[in-house]
Amino acid sequence: MSAPLEAIAVSRRYASRAIVDDVTLSLVPGEITALLGGSGAGKSTLLRLLAGLEPVDAGEVRLAGRVLSAPGRTVPPEQRRIGLIFQDFALFPHLTAARNVGFGLKHLPRKQAAATTDRWLSLLGLSGRAGAYPHELSGGEQQRVAIARALAPEPAAILMDEPFSGLDPALSGSVREAALSAVRAAGIPALMVTHDPAEALESADRIAILSQGRLLQSGSAEEVYRRPASLAAAGALGAVNVFRRASLPPSWQAAFSATGDLAGFRPEGVHLDAASPARFSVTSRRLTGPLVRLTLEGHGLKVNALAAPGAAPHAGAETGVSLDPALTFTFASGET
Amino acid sequence: MELKAPLAFAPALRQLPVLLAGFVIALPVAIVVAAGIAEGGGAAWTHIRDTLLLRYLTGTLAVLTLTGALCLLMAVPAAWLVTMFRFPGRGLFEWLLVLPLAAPGYVLAYAWSDLAGVGGPLQSALREATGWSARDYWFPDISSLPGLCFVLACTLYPYVYLTARAAFISQSVCTMEAARSLGAGPGRTFWSVALPAARPAIAAGLALALMEAAADYGAAEFLGVPTLTFGIVRAWKSFGEPAAGARLALVLLALILTFVIVERQVRGRAGTQQSSIRWRRIARAELPRPAAIGAASLCAGLFTLAFALPVGRLVWRSLEAGTHSTRIWEALGNSILLASAGAALAFVLALIIALSIRKKGPIATFARIAASSGYAIPGAVLALGALAVITALPAGLSGFTAVAALAWVYAVRFTAAGTEPMVAALARAPASIGQAAQSLGATPFRRTFCVDLPVAMSGAAAAALVLFVEALKELPATLMLRPFNWDTLAVRAYAYASDERLASAALPSLLITMAGLLPVILLSRQISRARPGAAP
Repeated sequence: MSAPLEAIAVSRRYASRAIVDDVTLSLVPGEITALLGGSGAGKSTLLRLLAGLEPVDAGEVRLAGRVLSAPGRTVPPEQRRIGLIFQDFALFPHLTAARNVGFGLKHLPRKQAAATTDRWLSLLGLSGRAGAYPHELSGGEQQRVAIARALAPEPAAILMDEPFSGLDPALSGSVREAALSAVRAAGIPALMVTHDPAEALESADRIAILSQGRLLQSGSAEEVYRRPASLAAAGALGAVNVFRRASLPPSWQAAFSATGDLAGFRPEGVHLDAASPARFSVTSRRLTGPLVRLTLEGHGLKVNALAAPGAAPHAGAETGVSLDPALTFTFASGET
Repeated sequence: MELKAPLAFAPALRQLPVLLAGFVIALPVAIVVAAGIAEGGGAAWTHIRDTLLLRYLTGTLAVLTLTGALCLLMAVPAAWLVTMFRFPGRGLFEWLLVLPLAAPGYVLAYAWSDLAGVGGPLQSALREATGWSARDYWFPDISSLPGLCFVLACTLYPYVYLTARAAFISQSVCTMEAARSLGAGPGRTFWSVALPAARPAIAAGLALALMEAAADYGAAEFLGVPTLTFGIVRAWKSFGEPAAGARLALVLLALILTFVIVERQVRGRAGTQQSSIRWRRIARAELPRPAAIGAASLCAGLFTLAFALPVGRLVWRSLEAGTHSTRIWEALGNSILLASAGAALAFVLALIIALSIRKKGPIATFARIAASSGYAIPGAVLALGALAVITALPAGLSGFTAVAALAWVYAVRFTAAGTEPMVAALARAPASIGQAAQSLGATPFRRTFCVDLPVAMSGAAAAALVLFVEALKELPATLMLRPFNWDTLAVRAYAYASDERLASAALPSLLITMAGLLPVILLSRQISRARPGAAP
């Protein structure tokens, strides 16, 4: 029933500077794709191109094979049936929660629209708040109204622009879970723009990494995390140790399967292993929450590692260190 | 080391300036209300009540209704177009459309009746083009109720335009984009999202415009439309019965109070505060060619009717007439003297009230309410109150007391206009700077003079200019209280126009308009800069 939403080689320029540069991305129904990147990477602009809020300068946006955007031709947002969720929720301040949700149901008979509104409100646990105005709702409630409003008209796809970053961190976890399960249940293509790699990894099925308007990599979360296509892509998803491969201790070489003269490995892939011949001394030890961050020095290298607090040695101790092959990657030094 | 207690004012003493300021502002209104209720109103009142009251009342109501409707029609579509779309001249119109605020209603009335009269350039051109004679056609008569409303709407619509534009600019663009993603076209987005969200701002602008319309005396008198304000001045001027005027003032005040209440009601419960924390520059949509031409002509037409045509006519007439009359320069000097005195007093009062705003308590609240209600009260009513005080004094209405009384009335009327920018300046500064000063050991006295005062002063230059120009434009109170044979520009323009010497009225009218342009331009720039999300 649902079809993919695709960007095919789309570009968008402001005053000859490419904000989105030749990006091809396919959003699969039933899956949440996280669009990850720093500020100014072009994430929001790509979302706006997909939504039809801005025209494309090159390339096409297609839904179910139908061209929605092409240079000089943009189907207006109100004819696309693509739901939008904004960072600031963008609720209509003069309408109650129920009337916000019902806003996109004008095509339905009044009774049916009311029933649909009620269903969505109760689905998101808002039944008691139907008559409240946005300013009377808590942040989490506003967020859920925004999601119900976007999903109620049964859109063909849904786009979310930093949907959880406006929320209290303590709140965003539970709200996110409720919200994303509603989005998943809709079985439509979904895109979530975020600058937070943890959020992308935790919530999304697929991840697309954008940097300076270009798509660095896209794939399943697992794949992108474990097999980054480039150093930049590796760095976008979390901390990474990078050294010339030749400078690594000989016992580590076996952990790298591919060729390439730069070696990268994640801090959690550094194992404290008494049996390893590669000896390092611990120069600092800091608690980061559930794990301890260690700085290890030896062999002319300075390595970041994450370890369980129970197992981690104290600063000044010496330890053997080995690498988890699943969390290593190599790059040629030409690419960055 | 010996610890000295900080030098603190006795709390009551510290409140004294605010109490005094509030009292000075509230007194004239209180006197008028008391006089209106207590005094019989005399023989003239019986006459006015039986023959004129109904006409004044219906006149004022009709003027307010029609002027309000015209203001909305002129202001809201223009504000929407200028904010949301790109079309030729948009950037220019955005601030040009504010300029009509510079010319007071009576000046526009003179200019328009000169333009549209039988001998005026419009009708002459029509006759020349068609070969008709003056009896062959119908031409709208400016000296009529619709004519007055048109003239008032021309100068007052910018209040609505400014607040509507600010509301449109400040509303989250995301909200409108959300509406479109939910299937609402541009039309429905405007009617069901943008307009309702802007409604309280539009209502506030309209209330301001209608208060000004209710306070108008010059235009109504010149165009021969009986209104309550017209009646108040006439009760004093023709009947010599301030008490009867006070009775009429009661009716007018009740009417104004109704507006304020209605305006509060319109705000209602629905929130209009945007939850937005992030602003995107408004991406103005390009209009298709015919629509762009339509939008540009609408704005150009509005500007031409409200400003270019009447002010152009004044310039033309002034050049034609020359400056042979030295009475203009005398009047200019008097105007500047009076406006300066009024602005200075208002400035001091505004400063006292603005500085007290952080203090909570009944006295500060009283002073603030007094100031903002003073702004809503027509000059003619305040003049009645001041007259009552002066005539009770042994010296009576002579030179110095008259000037002082005028400065007083100006201050009562316009202090609120000065308080606003100062309060805004204080509000922009974080509350923590006061606490920082205290933590550094500053006494309340030092805190007021070394921290709060300099901060408030950043909004003060604008406030002073606004006060000066408002005082310069004021007509009915000046007419009632000025020393004998002592003219200001406004009085001179009024006197010439009353004698049907429109050519001579042009120069003083033009000078008033020129002075009025300064704060209007300042205001327009400030508003467009202060809004997040506004494109520069």
